[in-house]
Amino acid sequence: MSTRTDTSSNAVVAGSFEGDRRRYLRGLGGLLVFLLVWWVGAMTTQPSYLVPGPLDSGRAFIDLFATSTAIVVPVLGSSLVLPTGFAHLAQTLFHYLPGLLLGASCGISLGLAMGWHGVLDDWLRPLVRVLRPIPPLAWVVFAIVWFGIHHTGAAFIVFVGAFWINFYGAYGGVEGVSSELTDAASTLGVERDLSMLKLVALPSAAPQVLTGFRTSIGRCWMIVVGAELFGAPGVGYEIINASNNLAMATSVAYMVLISLAFLCMDVGFRLLERRILTWR
Amino acid sequence: MALSSGSSTDHDSREKITIQNVSRSYESVQALADVSFSVAEGEFCCVVGPSGCGKTTLLRAIAGLDDPDGGSILVGGDPVTGPGLDRGMVFQEYALFPWRTVRGNIRFGLDRPACDCPDCEARVRELIDLVGLEGFEDAYPKALSGGMKQRVGIARALAVDPEILLMDEPFGSVDTRTRDRLHAELLDIWTQTGQTVVFVTHDIDEAVTLADRVIVVDADPGTVQSTFSIDLARPRERTARDFVGHVARIRTELGRPDDTSH
Repeated sequence: MSTRTDTSSNAVVAGSFEGDRRRYLRGLGGLLVFLLVWWVGAMTTQPSYLVPGPLDSGRAFIDLFATSTAIVVPVLGSSLVLPTGFAHLAQTLFHYLPGLLLGASCGISLGLAMGWHGVLDDWLRPLVRVLRPIPPLAWVVFAIVWFGIHHTGAAFIVFVGAFWINFYGAYGGVEGVSSELTDAASTLGVERDLSMLKLVALPSAAPQVLTGFRTSIGRCWMIVVGAELFGAPGVGYEIINASNNLAMATSVAYMVLISLAFLCMDVGFRLLERRILTWR
Repeated sequence: MALSSGSSTDHDSREKITIQNVSRSYESVQALADVSFSVAEGEFCCVVGPSGCGKTTLLRAIAGLDDPDGGSILVGGDPVTGPGLDRGMVFQEYALFPWRTVRGNIRFGLDRPACDCPDCEARVRELIDLVGLEGFEDAYPKALSGGMKQRVGIARALAVDPEILLMDEPFGSVDTRTRDRLHAELLDIWTQTGQTVVFVTHDIDEAVTLADRVIVVDADPGTVQSTFSIDLARPRERTARDFVGHVARIRTELGRPDDTSH
């Protein structure tokens, strides 16, 4: 705590700033200790490919952006030359993004509809109970026979993953709409069901819908890498590909790349979320 | 001395709300049993009773939010079939839309159906002025105190200019000092707008402070026990002999020496 006594508000600001700084330093310390342990572990393990060291991995990471790779843009069919890291990241995004966005839209729509409409809920609830526990990756067999394990197949698996997380976010959100708010709205002239959904249920469910979507961003990264281990092109495939050549440092480089890509999306979406939900 | 009577059967020609033999039960609980009374146009009517006597159910039925099992409710001579803009409601826990600002909450009713008042912005400003929330137009409900939230609740209900204002223990969750101020402000607004008010409370002091007439409802089953006319000049002094006399009479009628429980 700060011991300054000139003005209390200054003291509070200084105190919280001090606390932040201490937290960042501790975090940095934790990272450094981890790097040290990793480095020592790598030095003392033989053969060296079992644990590639931080320096080798760093070098492999830089190499991802020092070389270029040509990829084919799906749908357009044109070819694109990018630094290797970005090229494979782009390949992943070509199925990650459509799968995530389509899965989220469908999941949110069905969640809202079922949460809002009792009869629809009665009809579909048992079906949801049965389909929900199936892990998205189990659908890989159908992805292969229906679409082939390429962008479309991988997008399908991501779709399944995004669908359920967003479904439950929206379903829970709409179910939790307070009856007091819908009562207030109906005394203020909201008559049609659809207006109630738009004016009360949707804004009221927005925090849970957005949390569902943010969760699905992370979950779909796990799923997309899983799908690529079966052969769809992208960063997940490159992890396997590099390890088949015993270039384990390159595998680590791709793992770090996935982590960074996820962090960027997560932070970006959190900022967006905060802007949308200023009222909370 | 003040007037009090048993049950009110006198029919006012300016009758605004007529409640006839209304009954309502939930599973095994009889919330309302054969309730009849009427409220005159422009009258400030308080419904007092212990918790669970069905007074909120009664208010919700007038609002059209609850469907009684039997009897009928007429508003301006027409049976109530559902909620309508002619009846504004103020809720105990405010029921503000948390994602809308003060301005947005007050404006809610004006936007449905699509704004047909000539100048909605001016109307909203006027209401913000009326309830004394200048400077808080763009605040979200989370930033407001209970008293301020209820001011928004009142302004929101008044926005569409309802003929009847239904208030469900609106000041039950604010502190005593704020409540006294809100009482004065509510009476000011009522004098200006001339609306018919049905105000539900379990606080006898509050009822005698506000009402033209107090309707005492008994619990289990909910029935109208008696009605009291309060013909004291406003503002009313709570320590005045007449005031204290009314409170004591109603308290005796309720059959409880001290009714402060929720």
